[in-house]
Amino acid sequence: MKTGLKQVLATAAVFTFAATASADVVKLDSGLQPYKKVKGISGNLNSVGSDTMNNLLTLWGEGFKKMYPGVNVQVEGKGSATAPPALTEGVAQLGPMSRDMKPAEADGFEAKRGFKPTRFRVAVDGLAVYVNKSNPVKSLSLTQVDAIFGKARKRGAAADVATWDQIGLTGDFAGKPITMFGRNSASGTYGYFKEHALGKGDYKDTVKEQPGSAAVVQGVSEDKFAIGYSGMGYMTSGVRTVPLSDKDGGEVFDESPANVYSGNYPLSRYLNLYVAVDPKKGLDPLVKEFIKFIYSKEGQAVVVKDGFMPMLAKNADKELAQLK
Amino acid sequence: MPVSENKGYREFRRGFWAEGVPFIWISGITVLLLIGMIAGLIGIIVASGAGNFWPANVAKLTLKDGSYLLGPVTDREEEGAAARTQVKIANRDVFGLDFKWVDDSEIVKTEYPADAAVIERMEYGHLQGFILSFKEGDTVTPATSAGFFDMVAAKHRQVSEAREEMKSVQERITHERRSLTEIEIAMRKLSSGPASDLPETKVRLDEMQKQFDAKSETLAASLQGPERELERLEALAACCEVEVAISDGSTKTVPLMNAVDIYRPNGMGPFSKAAYYAGKAVSFLVDWPRESNTEGGVYPAIFGTVMMVFLMVIICTPLGVMTALYMHEYAKPGPALSAVRMAVNNLAGVPSIVFGIFGLGFFVYFVGGGLDALFFADKLPEPTFGTGGILWASLTLALLTVPVVVVSTLEGLAAVPRANREGSLALGASKFQTIWNVVLPNAMPGILTGVILAISRAAGEVAPLMITGVVKLVSELPVDASWPFFHLDRKFMHLGFHIYDVGFQSPNVEAAKPMVYTTTGLLLLIVVALNLVAIVLRNKLRNKYRGSAL
Repeated sequence: MKTGLKQVLATAAVFTFAATASADVVKLDSGLQPYKKVKGISGNLNSVGSDTMNNLLTLWGEGFKKMYPGVNVQVEGKGSATAPPALTEGVAQLGPMSRDMKPAEADGFEAKRGFKPTRFRVAVDGLAVYVNKSNPVKSLSLTQVDAIFGKARKRGAAADVATWDQIGLTGDFAGKPITMFGRNSASGTYGYFKEHALGKGDYKDTVKEQPGSAAVVQGVSEDKFAIGYSGMGYMTSGVRTVPLSDKDGGEVFDESPANVYSGNYPLSRYLNLYVAVDPKKGLDPLVKEFIKFIYSKEGQAVVVKDGFMPMLAKNADKELAQLK
Repeated sequence: MPVSENKGYREFRRGFWAEGVPFIWISGITVLLLIGMIAGLIGIIVASGAGNFWPANVAKLTLKDGSYLLGPVTDREEEGAAARTQVKIANRDVFGLDFKWVDDSEIVKTEYPADAAVIERMEYGHLQGFILSFKEGDTVTPATSAGFFDMVAAKHRQVSEAREEMKSVQERITHERRSLTEIEIAMRKLSSGPASDLPETKVRLDEMQKQFDAKSETLAASLQGPERELERLEALAACCEVEVAISDGSTKTVPLMNAVDIYRPNGMGPFSKAAYYAGKAVSFLVDWPRESNTEGGVYPAIFGTVMMVFLMVIICTPLGVMTALYMHEYAKPGPALSAVRMAVNNLAGVPSIVFGIFGLGFFVYFVGGGLDALFFADKLPEPTFGTGGILWASLTLALLTVPVVVVSTLEGLAAVPRANREGSLALGASKFQTIWNVVLPNAMPGILTGVILAISRAAGEVAPLMITGVVKLVSELPVDASWPFFHLDRKFMHLGFHIYDVGFQSPNVEAAKPMVYTTTGLLLLIVVALNLVAIVLRNKLRNKYRGSAL
């Protein structure tokens, strides 16, 4: 997925976003079109899936409802793993997932429905590693992150890291054990972090598993010696993000838009929305309009509002082409 | 002398143990501990949540580099010699974050300027700054002109009224249009369905198109008035803007339509602050949530919670009472009855999530899926009852609370005096008549005790609801003005889940924290209120039947 990001986004993104890299608030790609209302859209729209994207879906729902008062949007977000069964059973029309669907999940869907689910990439997210605001650590390599969170140290760290002085902190932090906050296993963030930061190795048993992304950030902001991971949209004033490098001694990147779009930031990912597009019947106009709304200027402004990064216009068009 | 002293002491000691003085003390201390814990819990909730709506004074902190921060001081942290202050800088759309920590050594001057304004917006939370001017069309009024703020307040009131009116006109139009939309949806379904190429379908489609045209013509005529009204209101609402200077040196324009409230907290006296507080508290109860539930009110969650509890009571009371009646009055005592009794008692100890999973598997997938296949096949694969909804959630909770009702009804039945039954039977009443007219009314207080306990348990339960129908956001209530008025298949919002969601999953967790406490307090209040209703009812009944028990 990271290589995908690199290939698709690199060239265009660097030019478009290099200038705005230092700004706090991300700018929208000017190529995104405003949404055009159509007639006769109403009914229930159910979404079941990722909790990272829970707020995103809720905000999209609010915006969509403003356009079509007859639409009833219902959003449920208990983790990415809940999306495939809901889509398979037809309980939900929208399945937001903060990771890609696993082959087994896609096969289960296909076995029941007779076709593959369609993936729409709706936003770009950088997974951030958070520490308390008074923590002076300058940067971490993913090898170090693996040694902090992982049992198996699949990325090849020589020794386990349990205290802050092992990362070179002194003063207050010398000899203090690291408290780790993470997500529960239903979460796509959990899966993504495990795959990309821990090299698919297992988490340590001492990682405190939290029921939501905000809970991780809350935990880190209340414990001076804590570290945790969550989507970059969950930033608060009580924590700071740590710039990351892929390997020990490698080049360090922070989660600025330019770095995320170019794929240089090692933990960047797409957020996905899975939909059951029946090749025979086509897509329900209600769902179709919702997806069009997501890729409109208004829809992508919501992405920025929620703290994620919007799609570039040309990639949005590419995703929209799947509707035809 | 020492002998008698010794004797007195011995007597005292014997009395001390024999009368159980230490036991009384331990019981007293336990009660005190319990009250202390409850008071502490409520204290924390009230202390953290009650200040949520209070318009805090806005500080202007001038920093060493000449720039300044504007916002209420929310927290302080001291660490040795260094101290830090947390400021709610708001202006989320510009700064990205709502809060900022600043070292006290950086701050040169702290003041509370009287003209610092806070604008609560429909989107992006608060805007804090200094109002520069007011713009209506091409006329610009600078903030320095006389009576400026009264004028803005009056205009804002006007715009807010127009906005509210717009909403109701819009609703009316949507409602009128519904029949049109229905034809449209049916047509689309036909033309994209498997039989779309058949000649009959074409004829049918033509017919529908004609029907549609005719209807839309009559509707267009009758809706002309409301639509013109809507246009007028839209123009009125979009009339004005205020220009605000914010702390990074830039200016922001806010359309008056997007402002929920405009106020200057530093210039407000305690009375106007209290009035503002009361207004905010009311709108918290009656408004819909905004900004992904972190702002606005919790009205749909209150509605969902109360409605679910009522549905649950309606389902679980007859179920529990009839079970208990049969067990107590008709069933023969024996191993079978003991087994049932034991099963009921054990059922009360099953973890609630197990009930949730049962509800999901049995009610949602099996019963709901079956109903869909029978009655709503045309809508599949979009489920109607085959997905979580308020009916399934209430049924699941009813199962969860039935044991409580059974047990307390059994106790109530056992407490009915033998003399009453025998008297009734002696007068020639049949067994059923006795139960119906004598036993049941006498057992009523016991039944209501069961209902009270059931309400308490159900209103605080979240885990089983999460998989049987509660969602983060709904845009329609389970009861509304469109046929058939009660929509038991709809998903709903719940205060308990709202607390979980805002506390653990909101992107702006710092800003949303007070909201969590306020919602918790509200949930407690609602549970107490529901219980009070049942308790008053029980006491009335108790008084009524007190005489007959003699």
